[in-house]
Amino acid sequence: MAKNESAFRVIIVLVLIAFFSAFLLAYVNNITSGPIEENKRAETKKAIEIVLSTLTDYTYPEEPIATEIDNSPVKYFPAQAADGSIIGYAIIVKGPNGFTNDFDMMVGLDSSGTVIDTYVLDHKETPGLGDGMAREPFKKQYRGKNLQNSNWNVIKDGGDFDILTAATITSRAFTGGVHRALLLFKKLKNEVNV
Amino acid sequence: MKLSEKLKRTFFTENPVTGLLLGLCPTLAVTSSAENGIGMGLATTFVLVCSNLVIATLKNVIPNRVRIPAFIVVIATFVTIVDMGLQATMFELHKTLGLFIPLIVVNCVILGRAEAFASKNTVWDSFIDGITNGLGFTFALFILGAIREVFGSGAILGYAFWPEDYRTILVFVLAPGAFLTLGFMLVGMNRISKALEGKK
Repeated sequence: MAKNESAFRVIIVLVLIAFFSAFLLAYVNNITSGPIEENKRAETKKAIEIVLSTLTDYTYPEEPIATEIDNSPVKYFPAQAADGSIIGYAIIVKGPNGFTNDFDMMVGLDSSGTVIDTYVLDHKETPGLGDGMAREPFKKQYRGKNLQNSNWNVIKDGGDFDILTAATITSRAFTGGVHRALLLFKKLKNEVNV
Repeated sequence: MKLSEKLKRTFFTENPVTGLLLGLCPTLAVTSSAENGIGMGLATTFVLVCSNLVIATLKNVIPNRVRIPAFIVVIATFVTIVDMGLQATMFELHKTLGLFIPLIVVNCVILGRAEAFASKNTVWDSFIDGITNGLGFTFALFILGAIREVFGSGAILGYAFWPEDYRTILVFVLAPGAFLTLGFMLVGMNRISKALEGKK
């Protein structure tokens, strides 16, 4: 370590180090931003294929349409058949009040507003407990459900949906998220009919 | 010092986690599975090696008064590079580790090696020191993650050997399980360290 140092030297060295690290970071960011964007897009594509698994021959726009429901931002991809009619929606909603935070999930609905499948995009729920929401035994109870045929609460709150052991809050948030997607569907339907 | 001797020290007697009890925040937080442990360990190793190299190279340039800020800037730079690199190449792993990657900046193993070793030794020695300490850290995280995954999820490295309907000991994947497992692991590692020292 250099002893006997002037303030000028201290400033110069620190500025140079900061300058070089900024340069390096800009360079790495330049290389990685492309693949990162690509990965996110691939993830969305995979999710749409899962949540709209029963539909075939549909196209969807590159960018989702953003709107708001329940004071929470939502984004959705309308799935269009070859003749231009809308046969389903892939809706990205926030599961409200998860155990650590709101989490992002995608819900696929067919043209009658019935859930096809769900997919959890990004979450920070407890590993081993809350992350069970992304697994088959929990997910399957939402398939084929819509606003009319189900009470959109967990069993503990007098609804129809089973909760995950030791993850009531996550289960509530998940159920709330799917419900939001259904509310958006209802809103979109009303707009079309008016 | 011979490399084998050095490895023995960083893996057992002076292992950053079980010997020196450094860097316990990421250790406890990410080791809910063996894969997470390895991922976090290797990310930390990369940062440790790079920061040791740079700091050993610059040790005569950095003024004593601002050495800690300078070290932190260097470390933070490499952590951000790891963060972006992982996101670009291993997106799935980044989804689980993402939250903890920025915390590598304040992992005291890295700052500790920079301050205690790299700022006083040659570039080559610092490089070796970074690799051996990083691997020792990875080793400890892997063992901890593996134990918690086996008991808590009934799986090892994501391969489930326990039927999904059967209960597992959930406490192991939760925070208290991390503390319990670490406690027992310290006992075991201390035994091994004592045995290794006795033989010398």
